[in-house]
Amino acid sequence: MKTIVTLLLWGGLAATLGAQQLQLNFEYLAAKASAAVDVSLNGATLQFAAGFLNGKDPQEAQVKKLLTGITGIYVKSYEFKTDGVWTQADLERVRNQLRAPQWSRIIGVKSTEDGETAEVYVRSENQKMTGLAILVAEPKELTVVNIVGSVDLNSLSELGGHFGVPKLEVTPGQKSK
Amino acid sequence: MDWLEQELKRALERKEPSPDFAARVSAAARRGRWGSPRRWMAVAASVAVLAGGGVGYRWREGVKAKQQVMLAVRIAGGKLNRVQAHVLEVTQ
Repeated sequence: MKTIVTLLLWGGLAATLGAQQLQLNFEYLAAKASAAVDVSLNGATLQFAAGFLNGKDPQEAQVKKLLTGITGIYVKSYEFKTDGVWTQADLERVRNQLRAPQWSRIIGVKSTEDGETAEVYVRSENQKMTGLAILVAEPKELTVVNIVGSVDLNSLSELGGHFGVPKLEVTPGQKSK
Repeated sequence: MDWLEQELKRALERKEPSPDFAARVSAAARRGRWGSPRRWMAVAASVAVLAGGGVGYRWREGVKAKQQVMLAVRIAGGKLNRVQAHVLEVTQ
């Protein structure tokens, strides 16, 4: 009996590993979007996918290396044909989950010129990075990314394409000004 | 001896089997234990088809998962780049 309980506890723990750190319920936005990307990859799927990444391809090799510290990737990205489909309340619902002490905002940019809001949050436990959240909102676009685990931001940034942007120096626990 | 005894004697009298009887019994016993080669070939073909189908399914699922990972990483990296570019604009 004790063995069964232990196994069930371990099973439950294994199931929660790599679980999404944010609740992102944007089904109503997805219905209004002209283009939508919804990717939910837990640890098991990432490990499975890593086996299909070609180590000889530079980009895939970089992704494979990046995945070693990651146990979950969750992306929701929506594009709209008109402005004002998403609201500030949508952003607040996400921000409310990104509170201290676990989460800290390392970058926050708000452009009044083009109405863009961009925020990067890092989750840390015992001075160790355990998660990343990126929130980017434009008048016709809304993207929320949650990466569970330890992420090398510079590697991730490189995989997003080089635009002559200098490297980002981030340490867990650092907060934006 | 009455007619009934004669009938019984005729019905129960010893009859020799055909010359190939032993061979036919042995062949039937062999088939019963291991099955015919044709049957084995059919089983092997079925196993091969199932295994091939399983490998194909796993490969397709793997490629799909890889594409999703690449897409997610590209979006996340792209957005992070964009944030960095904004920070750069502000600081300059």
